Amino acid sequence: MMRSRNPVAIALVVIAGLLMLAPMLWVLALSLKSNAALMADTNAVFDGAFTLENYVAILGNGQVFRWIGNSLIVSLGMTVGVLVLASLAGYGFARLEFPGRKILFVIVLLGLAVPEQAVIIARHQLFSWAEWHNSYPALIIPGLSAPFGVFLMTQYFRAIPKELDEAAMLDNASRFTVFWKVLLPLTIPAQATLGIFTFLHAWNDYWWPLISATNKQMFTLTVGIASTQMNFAQTEGLGFLMAQAVFAGLPILIVYLFFQKYIIQAVAGAAGR
Amino acid sequence: MRIVLTLALLLAACGPAKDDRTTLTIQRFFGACEAQYGAVTDVAKAEGECGIMTAIINRFEAENPDIRVVENIVFWPGYDQLTAQLASNDAPDLVTMHGSVISDYQARGLIAPMDAELPKIGVTPAAFTGAARAAVTIEGHVWGMPIDTWAPLWHINMNLFREAGLVRGGKPVLPRNPQELIAQAQQFRQRTGKPYFVQGAANEYAGYTRNFYTFVMQQQGDLFADPRKANFRTPEATEALRLFKDIYDRDLTTKNQDYSAAVAGFMRGDGGVFLVGTWMVGAFDAAAQKDGALAGGYAVVPYPQLYPQRDATFADGHNWVMPTNTERTPEEHAAALRFLKFFAAHEFDWSRTGHLPALRAVIDSPEWRALPHRDALARLATAGTPLPKGVRRQFPIETVVGQEAAAAISGAKPIPQALADMERRVNDILENL
Repeated sequence: MMRSRNPVAIALVVIAGLLMLAPMLWVLALSLKSNAALMADTNAVFDGAFTLENYVAILGNGQVFRWIGNSLIVSLGMTVGVLVLASLAGYGFARLEFPGRKILFVIVLLGLAVPEQAVIIARHQLFSWAEWHNSYPALIIPGLSAPFGVFLMTQYFRAIPKELDEAAMLDNASRFTVFWKVLLPLTIPAQATLGIFTFLHAWNDYWWPLISATNKQMFTLTVGIASTQMNFAQTEGLGFLMAQAVFAGLPILIVYLFFQKYIIQAVAGAAGR
Repeated sequence: MRIVLTLALLLAACGPAKDDRTTLTIQRFFGACEAQYGAVTDVAKAEGECGIMTAIINRFEAENPDIRVVENIVFWPGYDQLTAQLASNDAPDLVTMHGSVISDYQARGLIAPMDAELPKIGVTPAAFTGAARAAVTIEGHVWGMPIDTWAPLWHINMNLFREAGLVRGGKPVLPRNPQELIAQAQQFRQRTGKPYFVQGAANEYAGYTRNFYTFVMQQQGDLFADPRKANFRTPEATEALRLFKDIYDRDLTTKNQDYSAAVAGFMRGDGGVFLVGTWMVGAFDAAAQKDGALAGGYAVVPYPQLYPQRDATFADGHNWVMPTNTERTPEEHAAALRFLKFFAAHEFDWSRTGHLPALRAVIDSPEWRALPHRDALARLATAGTPLPKGVRRQFPIETVVGQEAAAAISGAKPIPQALADMERRVNDILENL
């Protein structure tokens, strides 16, 4: 059945879309101009030749593909880790009875109220003591503590009727089989939400990689491309700066393009729930 | 199991060959430009801070095949990263550091004294300019090897100055006291219809601070008689702010421009004098070679002396320092010293960035004097004055001073109130070291 379309609503959505698109197009256009031209006048974007020299400068850095690789390893590692841990913890909190369950759940939720800034020094010292800095575990492990993920998965598991568990157990399914084969497939929308948000968070993270990965071989893309900026980059290297923004944002854009259906479902689902 | 073992052996066989070279880890800012200069070893062919630094390091590695240089390039200025590295016992061998930051690390024992080291490579403190030596000397000891001195300058659009009748004998007519400054600026405004000054003053506090420090220094004012206690409620500080408030109130400066807009505005001919540092000399000189507002009409000079007491301009500089590291081997230590010797030998190359050389001999050399505008800048070697070295936390202090100065100059606060707030906020920082 075709829904009736409200032209005013459509016009508002189009205007809102253009407003959101404009800064991105501006960034893209600036990235295609020479730094010297932009230093003299950013209106240079409206005339003269475009150039790919800023992208060549990025790709000419011998480390950039290594930084992309590091970002992929860290983001995927963190995503997989969070999905596994949050699913198991969520199942446990939703389905298992054990002493201190409620208190433990509250303690996990309290983690939502603790900002990263409050623990960063202690965390840095801990990893220094373990001599783990400049390693993938150091970049991944702190991100595995995901109170939001545990909360989300707990809520999803709670929403699934317990009769499903009981029916499977009547068929001699073990508890793990119930979790793995019956309940987990039903939480795919939540897994998608959590996975996408975790991946994006890990990909965009800057602060912890900045102070933990101090060897350029271990830089993630965010830290690596920032390190290539000169002082006063916003003036003397504006085109390069914008090309970096485009380059760093491309993988995220691709994730959105491929997973937009899940992202919309996930956000709508999370809001509804 | 056998397959895993075979794969492991294969991977091991494919791994990098053992490298017997001594590793020298150099950490620096100035950005990365491998695409353009990654293979350049002819330093004379490099331009700009990033290009020249990259080419010098490339050349060093080419001439010292027994040393493998690991170059850690950090996001400017990189001190958060350095502090994290030092906290995790991962100190680089050499680090670029501003003179104004050295005391923060020196006071905590995080960098090594260089008194005994520099003479071993033929670089004695006596060879430095006064400004460069002051940047690395604390309590009688030398804590680094200066790379350069930088200072804010008066970049002048000579075409507009000529139109304003402020050129004599091919040179800009500069004020010798505050009254002349206001009079010349008003003459400039009347004849060109443009403000005398171009300033990047929106979201940018360093400029306010540098102006403030400079004109307090010129009056022999002492803001930090005690390095742990700021004293800003002085007649000299009041006068420095009053002068710039007067300029602001009379519309003799551009307003509400950020740094980028001010650079573009100066290149477009929006005003006569741009107050910005040594690092822009090359860019503006290049613009003067092309069509545009600066075409054939660019000059640059240190801040003129407006007060009779002292010829001074606030200055800072870049330096190489060696973080303390008990695990550094004698070979790594020797490699670091070889690099410092090499860099000192290429000081002229570095001075092409626009910064003032740290070595007196380079300033006195005909080749440096032959570089564009350098003759006029040589005065900085004596006039360039950093804050007293005992003053720690100079970066955050710079922001506080700039914020309060901006408030006073724009009229958001009365000058006495701004100075009182400046002093209170700076002392909050210094009392909590």
